[in-house]
Amino acid sequence: MLSCAEFLAEFGDYLDDAASPDLRARLEAHLHECNACQVIVDTARKSIRIVTESGSFSLPDQAVEPIVAQIMARVRDKTP
Amino acid sequence: MSLAPAFRNSTPADPFDAIRNAFGFVPNLFHVQSGLPCAVESEAQIIAAALLNQGALSRQKKDAVLLAVANAAQNAYCAALFRGGSHFLPDGDSALANFAVKLARYGPWISGNDVEALRQGGCADGAVLEVVVTVALGQMLCTLSDALSPVPDPGFTGLIASQPPTLPESLEVTETQRPYLSDIPRLGSDYEPFAFLREQFGFIPNLFEVQAQRPDVVEAEVQALRAILFAEDPLSRLQKEKIILAVSAANLNTCCVAAQTEILSTLGLPPEESDEIVQDHDSATMPDADKSLLGYVRLLARYSGATAAPPAAMERLAALGFTEPQILEAVAMAAWTNFLNTVQFGLGTVPDFAPRHGLIPNKPYPFPAHGRPTSETSAPSLPADPDAEFVARVQAGDTDAFEELVRRHFRRIFGTLNGILGNADAARDATQDVFLKAFEHIRGFQGRSKFSTWLTSIAINSGTELLRQRKGDESLDEGNDDEGFRPRLIQAWSETPEQLLAASQIRDLVRQAVLRLPQKYRVAVLLRDINQLSTEEAAASLGIGVPAFKARILRGRLMLRESLAPHFARQARSAKC
Repeated sequence: MLSCAEFLAEFGDYLDDAASPDLRARLEAHLHECNACQVIVDTARKSIRIVTESGSFSLPDQAVEPIVAQIMARVRDKTP
Repeated sequence: MSLAPAFRNSTPADPFDAIRNAFGFVPNLFHVQSGLPCAVESEAQIIAAALLNQGALSRQKKDAVLLAVANAAQNAYCAALFRGGSHFLPDGDSALANFAVKLARYGPWISGNDVEALRQGGCADGAVLEVVVTVALGQMLCTLSDALSPVPDPGFTGLIASQPPTLPESLEVTETQRPYLSDIPRLGSDYEPFAFLREQFGFIPNLFEVQAQRPDVVEAEVQALRAILFAEDPLSRLQKEKIILAVSAANLNTCCVAAQTEILSTLGLPPEESDEIVQDHDSATMPDADKSLLGYVRLLARYSGATAAPPAAMERLAALGFTEPQILEAVAMAAWTNFLNTVQFGLGTVPDFAPRHGLIPNKPYPFPAHGRPTSETSAPSLPADPDAEFVARVQAGDTDAFEELVRRHFRRIFGTLNGILGNADAARDATQDVFLKAFEHIRGFQGRSKFSTWLTSIAINSGTELLRQRKGDESLDEGNDDEGFRPRLIQAWSETPEQLLAASQIRDLVRQAVLRLPQKYRVAVLLRDINQLSTEEAAASLGIGVPAFKARILRGRLMLRESLAPHFARQARSAKC
């Protein structure tokens, strides 16, 4: 069975639901026995969800149109 | 048992000790490399593991294998060295000698049938592995000797290599199941040399995994690479990686060429430029001096059919401005590549990545004097680019069509730059500049990647450059900040952790946590989790391979999880990992 270190090195595809059937089976065999790695998988998934949905680096909707207009004005200035 | 401390700090006090133990003295072959101690150190590592460590094969049989290699190479210096000053041949073992000669001279034609013949001669898998590694060592030492022409060692003169053993007049290329060894243990990722390879390359090459029966040999090989490959001088890392690619191509080693193309892509060299080196380095995009360097090392490729590199070729390099340590390092890298290529041929490892070229030995015997036949493998077709229609319209002069491209990608580009720069105002300005730059260069966009990938690459490069200007001389590469990173806070979170804090608090918390990440992990998280690019597109935007990107995003995600954990963890007993 995989050690925890092996599990932590290999479980990236599992987080993305992209692990091959063979890898998935080996990872899940480890998870079945290891509470700590279960916690890490669960909290990593929640962490990704929080990061993705946080909007931490997005622009407010009202700021979009003025900037698009500025870009296109500069682009048209460049157009011969 | 963890090998970490020994592996991380292992630098032999005197590499000559291992060499002395192996040969009884320090041969001139190593004295002539005294201008480049790291080369001697790397060679001593593999000599110690391959010749001195106890294994399945006796030292006497290893000497017989080495001698067969030297004879096959018609290398008088090494033949004398491997005979140990004796005029007598070690005990013969025809199965061993036949295999050693075929692998040394005709590596690309080795198949599982040859390994099976060796097994029938009494070699179990462990012994087969040792034979292959010993042949590879012989190839490496013969390369060094051919290039550096050491003076014969005292007492070892007058010995001339015998004629190479006869082989069938024609050889057939036989495809058999790969790899050729069946008993390959899993060393796992807590085996420190593998962790190091993953860290450096983003993947563990099959070439090393298949040697797992001898972890000491793998460790020596990885230590040797550490000693010589990863430093930026005397030659740059990129120059050395290109040498490995060029020599592997000259050796018709499809597997090593595929892996090396991937490794070079992680260093920023597009696969198309690696293709140019594989096909014809003289036509490749690089300085003329580097072309001469690659031209020289190709002469040292043991399976290219070239005879030894003439001394004049080395003198030409000196005339071009290469220093003695640089030339020594080029020779050492060619010797190491011959070692690795020989191991791959002997063990039949499968490619780590779909080869972009199949290097085919289509004229089996004798070798063609010139040229390395290549055949294009069918490249996977790219998925249709949803922006293609608008890109074509802009390229045809329709400026208004560009507005649609801006609208489609504006948020993603802003988000990437906001994450890199950590400042929304600076990101607004930078976003405008990125789109302007894309507009100015869109006629040169040839559709080799998706438009969005191309645009994201411009954003990453622009953002990184702005950050570099802002930080002055401060390095953006945070070095080994992440070495040994392991999750420490192992407590369950509540089912809906988002409900524990207000949305604005979470936004600030995530922003600060992402901005604290080292640059390379931050960009990976920005592309994959903030902007939700696919793994493949994120890797392509960074100009790195998918395995390297996967390693980065996993590390970035684990670091973020660690940073967020104190805010979302239940107050419960932590589990132990």
